[in-house]
Amino acid sequence: MAKYGYDDTPFLPNTKWRVHDSNRPQPPVIWPGWFSTQEAPGEPPSDAIILFDGKDLSKWISVKDGGPARWKVENGYMEVVPGTGDIQTVEEFGDCQLHIEWAAPAEVRGEGQGNSGVFLMGRYEIQVLDCYENPTYADGTTAAIYGQYPPLVNACRKPGEWQVYDIIWLAPRFDENGNLIRPAYVTVFHNGVVVHYHTPLFGPTTHRATLPYQPHPPVGPLRLQNHGDPVRYRNIWYRPLRGYDGEPEWRDWTPIVMAPRG
Amino acid sequence: MRVIAAGLVLVAALTVGFFVGVMAQLGYEDTPFLPGQRWRVHDGKRPQPPVVTPAPIPSDPPSDAIILFDGKDLSKWRSAWTGGPARWKVENGYMEIVPGTGDIQTVEEFGDCQLHIEWMIPEDVKGSGQGRGNSGIFLMGRYEIQVLDSYENRTYADGMAAAIYGQYPPLVNACRKPGEWQTYDIIWIAPRFEGEKLVRPGYLTLIHNGIVVHYHTPVMGLTRHRRFPTYRPHPPVGPLRIQDHGFRVRFRNIWYRPLKGYDGEPEWRDLTLAVFPDLPRHQSSAK
Repeated sequence: MAKYGYDDTPFLPNTKWRVHDSNRPQPPVIWPGWFSTQEAPGEPPSDAIILFDGKDLSKWISVKDGGPARWKVENGYMEVVPGTGDIQTVEEFGDCQLHIEWAAPAEVRGEGQGNSGVFLMGRYEIQVLDCYENPTYADGTTAAIYGQYPPLVNACRKPGEWQVYDIIWLAPRFDENGNLIRPAYVTVFHNGVVVHYHTPLFGPTTHRATLPYQPHPPVGPLRLQNHGDPVRYRNIWYRPLRGYDGEPEWRDWTPIVMAPRG
Repeated sequence: MRVIAAGLVLVAALTVGFFVGVMAQLGYEDTPFLPGQRWRVHDGKRPQPPVVTPAPIPSDPPSDAIILFDGKDLSKWRSAWTGGPARWKVENGYMEIVPGTGDIQTVEEFGDCQLHIEWMIPEDVKGSGQGRGNSGIFLMGRYEIQVLDSYENRTYADGMAAAIYGQYPPLVNACRKPGEWQTYDIIWIAPRFEGEKLVRPGYLTLIHNGIVVHYHTPVMGLTRHRRFPTYRPHPPVGPLRIQDHGFRVRFRNIWYRPLKGYDGEPEWRDLTLAVFPDLPRHQSSAK
């Protein structure tokens, strides 16, 4: 193997790698895809797991009965059919980069319109709502971590226009006794604007109350809420978030960086 | 004049009062407080997030962005060597490094932010390894995100495109081909010092062409070549610097937004210990 770096440089403090280490693993190569526009959904990256490509709901089931998801699919999007309940993915996953696009109904019906929600691991909600010139309580605004944190800014597009959530999600971790050892963290870009950055969740989502964490596995389904409004979704994919140098999980390097340097 | 001013103040006061009144009705005041926080669940008095209009086209600046380069001129930039005018070429909506003219940096200094920058390696690039389309984005003039043609061009992992140079390789190689524009979307938390002491490292999140390649990664210190990084105290703001490494690399559409905290707080902060004071400390994000 040709030598691409160095083997005479100092070690990075408290790590097993030298500066510019020849032997440090090469990151996997992927094709990044293309961004979406109003006119057309983009192309997911080559290493993404596609949850909805605009054609069918084969990756989704009804939360109520575990049977087929009964939302409408047409013109490359899915649309909430009131009365058919929430839907969720068959696939379960944890730490990830998640991309999802949605549009509130173009016809404005007044307060509470375009209400739905993206539930990470079936439990933790990022609010979907039309808050374009339509205020509600801050922690229930579009892109809020519902009932916990308002978005840093309100970056809504008009109803009828496609909006994007790019989410970086770290699932909570529990020890063998069910104690919380790391809360869930979320970062959200709404239409390209940062609205949460590495924010620790208080616990699972509920309405008008707070709930403590209940232990659960590090993976779960993605759930979309049926709140009775015909909200549309398209171009849904995720990529598992891993660690550096082939480590299976993301981890906080702060203790390594802040430890005394020998 | 004074009457008009007084009138304006009155109108402003009434307007604020009106909105506070409306907001109080938007939520609840009989719900429990969020644990350890000053806000109730669905608190009607919790401040409304400021409205920002996103750009119609992906990657274009939102309404609250500070534009550092709009494709027209280098008026916001100067030579990092002399402090005089930046002498890179501007044409067709991009700037291009003129090798030998030196690094350039923004007049403006800033700290915690969301930063967007696009770059392209010209199609006629030559060379290999570090010698192929090399440049770099230096946050606060000190902390480098590598710019390099890493499309089918191998180098040491911590020196490839999107690496935190000399410290962390990107999680994946999400490079586009030479001749294609590439995007960096960065969330940057500047390090904090108390006197000589580092109390919080700089944190970097980088999204390369839409792909997460660093997430909340603590930077180990100043960028250096072949030496390990250390911190030296500096103010919480600094200029954005772009490196002239002797290669023609193009840049366009550069903007940032200061990153602030929730509810009008002036700074982002790690809320882990505020929300979970009893967490085992080694598991939480450090102060």
